[in-house]
Amino acid sequence: MIYHDVIVIGGGLSGLRAALEAHKKGADVAIISKVSPIRSHSVAAQGGINASLGADDSWKAHAWDTVKGSDYLADQDAVEILCKEAPEIVLEMDNWGTSFSRTQDGKIAQRPFGGAGFPRTCYAGDKTGHNLLYTLQEQVLKAGIKVYPEWMVTRLVTDGGRCTGFVAINIFNSEPDVFKAKITVIATGGYGRIYKRSTNSIINRGFGIGLAYRAGVPLQDMEFVQFHPTTLWDSNILITEGVRGEGGYLYNKNHQRFMKSYAPESIELAPRDIVARAIQTEINEGRGISNEYVYLDITHLDPQLIKERLSGIREISMDFAGVDPVKKPIPVQPGQHYSMGGILSSINGKTPMDGLYAVGECACISVHGANRLGGNSLLDTLVFGKRAGQHAAESIQDKDIPQDENLIKELENEKRFLSDLFGESGENFATVRNELKNIMQEKVGVFRNHENLEHAIEDLKNLKYRAQKIKVKSRAKSFNLELLDAIELKRMVDIAHVIATGALARQESRGAHYRTDFIERDDNNWKKHTIAYYTPQGPRLEYKDVTITSFYSEKREY
Amino acid sequence: MVTLNIKRQEDDKIWYDTFHVEEKPGMNVLEALFEIQEKLDGSLCFRFACRGAVCGSCAMLINKVPRLACKKLVGDVKKEDISSLKSDQILTSPQSSKESNDRVLIEPLPNLGVIRDLVVDMEHFYSLVDSVQPWITAEENYDKKHLIEPATQKKLEKYTNCILCAVCHGICPAATRDDKYLSPAGLARAWRFQLDPRELEKSKLQRYNIVDSPSGVWGCDLVYKCVAVCPKKVPPTKAIKQMRRQISEK
Ligand SMILES: Cc1cc2nc3c(=O)[nH]c(=O)nc-3n(C[C@H](O)[C@H](O)[C@H](O)COP(=O)(O)OP(=O)(O)OC[C@H]3O[C@@H](n4cnc5c(N)ncnc54)[C@H](O)[C@@H]3O)c2cc1C
Ligand code: SF4
Ligand code: FES
Repeated sequence: MIYHDVIVIGGGLSGLRAALEAHKKGADVAIISKVSPIRSHSVAAQGGINASLGADDSWKAHAWDTVKGSDYLADQDAVEILCKEAPEIVLEMDNWGTSFSRTQDGKIAQRPFGGAGFPRTCYAGDKTGHNLLYTLQEQVLKAGIKVYPEWMVTRLVTDGGRCTGFVAINIFNSEPDVFKAKITVIATGGYGRIYKRSTNSIINRGFGIGLAYRAGVPLQDMEFVQFHPTTLWDSNILITEGVRGEGGYLYNKNHQRFMKSYAPESIELAPRDIVARAIQTEINEGRGISNEYVYLDITHLDPQLIKERLSGIREISMDFAGVDPVKKPIPVQPGQHYSMGGILSSINGKTPMDGLYAVGECACISVHGANRLGGNSLLDTLVFGKRAGQHAAESIQDKDIPQDENLIKELENEKRFLSDLFGESGENFATVRNELKNIMQEKVGVFRNHENLEHAIEDLKNLKYRAQKIKVKSRAKSFNLELLDAIELKRMVDIAHVIATGALARQESRGAHYRTDFIERDDNNWKKHTIAYYTPQGPRLEYKDVTITSFYSEKREY
Repeated sequence: MVTLNIKRQEDDKIWYDTFHVEEKPGMNVLEALFEIQEKLDGSLCFRFACRGAVCGSCAMLINKVPRLACKKLVGDVKKEDISSLKSDQILTSPQSSKESNDRVLIEPLPNLGVIRDLVVDMEHFYSLVDSVQPWITAEENYDKKHLIEPATQKKLEKYTNCILCAVCHGICPAATRDDKYLSPAGLARAWRFQLDPRELEKSKLQRYNIVDSPSGVWGCDLVYKCVAVCPKKVPPTKAIKQMRRQISEK
């Protein structure tokens, strides 16, 4: 049994920031992650991180944009914290060495981003996530924080309603071990890979959200799934919003700048949900190229600017689509991108379960509401990662070291579960996983309706049953990918079920959740958060009011 | 169809397996490996994460050249003629055989111990890189904003672009001969911090002391193989030469 006061599950930005702060505040903290921290999905973030650094900008303006962008579902107290703490959190990263791009006079450069009233997105070329993640990994290294790399956490352990640790499998030998902690922080990122088209890393399977859900912790607003309007055709690698920020145009096959008719004022810079639906509509109505994609064109921009500020995108287009965007437009289509929902969590990262915190994309503190603005997610990981780390470190004094009994029992349960998992019978995990992805893409995607969602739920129930029966054939001891795949698949189906159930219940369109049978936002009935609890029969839904401080609702027009 | 010859290893047992995979348009080597792992042999193992050439997980030897599996299209590598060429020749003057041989040879990244199949001991590589103290030691409560010239940031960027994939380590002759050699990536990272105006002078001095050794900047053969293979255009050899000069001038 391994013990630390605080253990953070996940080595992405939110996890590293939480661990670093807990360490600074004197806690004995460790990080456990299924990939080496620098391989986490955060590394792939391109466009930037928002902070009102400019003299003519303010946290209030940032908060207003965020609330409006969220289609009024964000909790406004949390948004205020996010935006107030943004400048300091960014300057802190700069002081630790993040290689932010600079203005001529040496300040941190900022670019315009969709849905924002000011150019307030700080960036490091188009490798912002990479630069932020490396900076934090460096500081974690410097602090000497213990990291358990390539361990997959498979079940949380509770004792009288308190989280006392978890069981994890060491990927090097496939053996489970048990970790005891006064406080466990889940920072396991998103679940993008339950969709067929997703910008997320292949490792983003949402397992951490599933862990909490199965342990009885509620999930919030899971039906709000962001689809990024511009992902590279077929491979679905993200083409950052920064490309439009730098002046890119969207064209359909008739060479019309179609965004002019969907968002006359902000055109290509309208928020993601609006642009994603516009592109999907163009494709569905036959104005896409090969009925699959539209063009994102930057050939009119200065090639030098493209090479300097969008070099990563240029490389991606050339390597993965064979297109040099200096000369030819980039083929793009919408794809799953971000999860607004997640484990219900407070402004200090605390979940309703004692001893359990959740931060980053796996959490729902609700700063993004029904739709996240570009550049706000990296900010969310750092601001609330830091707060959770501090809060966790401060509360360990009042907590006893957990008892071993349940921890040992759960380790035994896991061992039994694992030995039952091997066998020659049963379906191939990949078949079931591909079906899951197709169901989510087709029936719980950009456009939703009652009939499709009902079908999706039926299909998912069936898949859950099939996933239960999957057996692992490979007996390899180290790096048994098939074993990990089989374990993860069960929780992927759980999460899909919660998303589809929340989406079916929510009879309105708000932010990223768009119902073709209820196209208007309905504040009277639906200005509320969905809260989902696990039951063996499927998710049980409750609702919770949105916290409102100073912003009133109005129609979102861009 | 494309044929992949994959070097397998478990404990002391080493063998080669041949798999035939249906080649889809735009398929890269990582996708081909997934086809195998999902449909033909669930026991095959390799590392991956982003599938977009940004996370640095999937370095391996593809036709004798270390590269990122997700960044190489199967259609391109299956045409390479490896029978008559050495890796650096493939790099400098890629030759495609007249008829495509439809065969791709995949082996684990060299110069690091093999854990199983295509998974190598990255911890060893990380420990080399970490020994150059790759972090900024700036004062905690710095209350002014740093002003950094765009040109300086551009210089930094060349080196911060490194994704620690270890491709350079896999081709480096110094790493082959000396397992304590700080590695092209480790030295490139050291230089990244030496270039940073936010880093304290005394930390820079300390770092020069670390790299000033036979397993540091003086271990390099200056053959530029790392520069040739780096998927992120990081020039480790350039960093090494700069540090040699700085150290000599001290
Ligand atoms: C392509 C792309 C570009 C983006 N660009 C931007 C941008 O420009 N600006 C912005 O604000 N946002 C952006 N985002 C969103 C943002 O990158 C993510 O929301 C954010 O990085 C998530 O960070 P995280 O720390 O929550 O999770 P991650 O970085 O995903 O880290 C999750 C960690 O959890 C670990 N883990 C998961 N499951 C387990 C388990 N069972 N056991 C052990 N460990 C586990 C993983 O190993 C990993 O270390 C982008 C997203 C994508 C997909
Ligand atoms: S220098 Fe290049 S090849 Fe070496 S680890 Fe960094 S990115 Fe990889
Ligand atoms: S999988 Fe990330 S670099 Fe290849």
